[in-house]
Amino acid sequence: MLERRSTPLEILRYGIILIVLFWTVFPIAWLLVTSFKPANDIMVSPPRFVFTPTLENYIYAMGKANFAMFIGNTLYVSLLSTFFVVILASLAAYSFARYNVGMGNILFFILTTKMMPAIAVVLPFFLIFRDIGASPIGEALGIGLDKRAALVISYTIFNLPFAIWLMVSFFQDIPTELEDSARLNGYNRLQVLRKVVLPLAAPGIAVTAIFCLIFAWNEFLFAYILTRDAARTITVGVESFFTLRGVLWGPVAAAAALSVAPMLFFVLILQRFMVRGLTFGAVRG
Amino acid sequence: MASTSMSTPQDTRSVPKKQGRAMSDAWFSVLLILPAMIIIAFFALYPLFYAIYVSFQLADLTAGGIKGFVGLDNYRTVLFDKFFWESVRTTLFFTFFAVSIEVVLGTFVAFLINGATVAKGLIRSLLILPLATAPAVTGLFWRYLYDTQFGLYNYFLGLLGLPQPNWLGDIKVALWAVIMFDVWLWMPFVALIVMAGLQALPKEPFEAAELDGAPYFRVLRKLTFPMLKPVLFLVIILRTIDALRLYDAVAVLTRGGPGSTTETMTYYLYRQGLVFFRMDYASTMALLFLYAVVVASLFALRPLLNMFGGRATAK
Repeated sequence: MLERRSTPLEILRYGIILIVLFWTVFPIAWLLVTSFKPANDIMVSPPRFVFTPTLENYIYAMGKANFAMFIGNTLYVSLLSTFFVVILASLAAYSFARYNVGMGNILFFILTTKMMPAIAVVLPFFLIFRDIGASPIGEALGIGLDKRAALVISYTIFNLPFAIWLMVSFFQDIPTELEDSARLNGYNRLQVLRKVVLPLAAPGIAVTAIFCLIFAWNEFLFAYILTRDAARTITVGVESFFTLRGVLWGPVAAAAALSVAPMLFFVLILQRFMVRGLTFGAVRG
Repeated sequence: MASTSMSTPQDTRSVPKKQGRAMSDAWFSVLLILPAMIIIAFFALYPLFYAIYVSFQLADLTAGGIKGFVGLDNYRTVLFDKFFWESVRTTLFFTFFAVSIEVVLGTFVAFLINGATVAKGLIRSLLILPLATAPAVTGLFWRYLYDTQFGLYNYFLGLLGLPQPNWLGDIKVALWAVIMFDVWLWMPFVALIVMAGLQALPKEPFEAAELDGAPYFRVLRKLTFPMLKPVLFLVIILRTIDALRLYDAVAVLTRGGPGSTTETMTYYLYRQGLVFFRMDYASTMALLFLYAVVVASLFALRPLLNMFGGRATAK
């Protein structure tokens, strides 16, 4: 804005930016590179930068029957929980944005539940799901420890506060005049919501959904505590290559790459909304 | 959120009154939040009440579960537990240094990038990549980067002729290794938000300052930072609340070790509750912890969010 631009200073600026970018990007880049390395090029000192790329790590990771299942579980759990969150949160957020239910107090209460340390919540959850799982109801519904439903429920709950806050900010951006004229034209409240508001809010809802998807996909603690084997997700599954005979870094990297890559893609889509999402809608970058 | 700014839509809404039998706005609005609220209330309050209940009981899951009322015994045990206070100290140390470094570095990077003219979009997309990754997954991989034999960090340090620490094995270094990972993960978050704050600043005061020939650092001190203050506060508070709850990175990077040098409160809580199954201690600690975090968000976060909410709707 104000600096008088001089060439040496500009070179310094880009030099520092390059160093910072190198530092933020290289762990991810190295992860991807390592995932394509043959086993005997990984545990070498000094690190090898030139090698013949191979898919053996991916084949090993996927061939270890479980890992395909971990990916399936992750997809199932994150998509389904996101679906529930979007429905519940968009209704609630609209109400908070337009009718200001609870004068902001309820809304803030919702946020404080998000501030609870996850570890404090997971203990009671563990016991709830253990008890439900042992009961006939749990068996009939497929809810319990090491059941995917337990994670779907958990992720729905912990993404709800975030989703409501972010969506409130999107609903507030929609001018009320449109709704008012729809009302005057004889729409009832539900029709206004369905035919006027939701279509207008669709981009914001999509953005919120992608955030929820990322959070659910990347979640570790609940998956770690509430599952053992059948319902394991990728984030926890990566650790299965830490064997007694040592860490198999090749498969670890391949598994980690499979976990990280789709999210890198989503984050690039979300770029413009990152700031808004990460501040619960407060800063509208 | 901002209650004042929200009153306008309500006033205009009362225009179509003719459908007398239709439900009132109040009912409609409550009906919309009900499904979400039932779920949140049940699953947020149940753990809370459970924790409160268990904190007054003797509850050792390895010895048959809840055994009876013990009054404030658990609170006394926790408050006199040396390891608990050590974990508090570790948590505060971690939070202070991680958040400070993230905020200072992130702000600096934001200023650099904000002033850049070339490839700004590309720079930004590369910068935010760490935010996409699961800390549990990248953290695991960082163990490879930190490896004393095969790790890239020590390789680079060796090239520069610098000392090569045993990142995760040295009791003096391990916590810093966790901090460095956290900075890697969250510095882009700070930079991104400060960049957004910088872009939202009004142009006029800066043009006026330029006409007056005010020196750069004076403008920075008198104009830029005062106007950025709310954004910076918000970032600091969000980061602090998050850093206090740090779990994933510790769980995969160090498991609290070496010794208990990187054992944060959450990790100690995890060990008490889910390794030793002492639900009573764990719940008591969780409550103390929760109390601290809720107080922090109530007094620090709420006014800020209100301010942002108000400002955004006023536009």
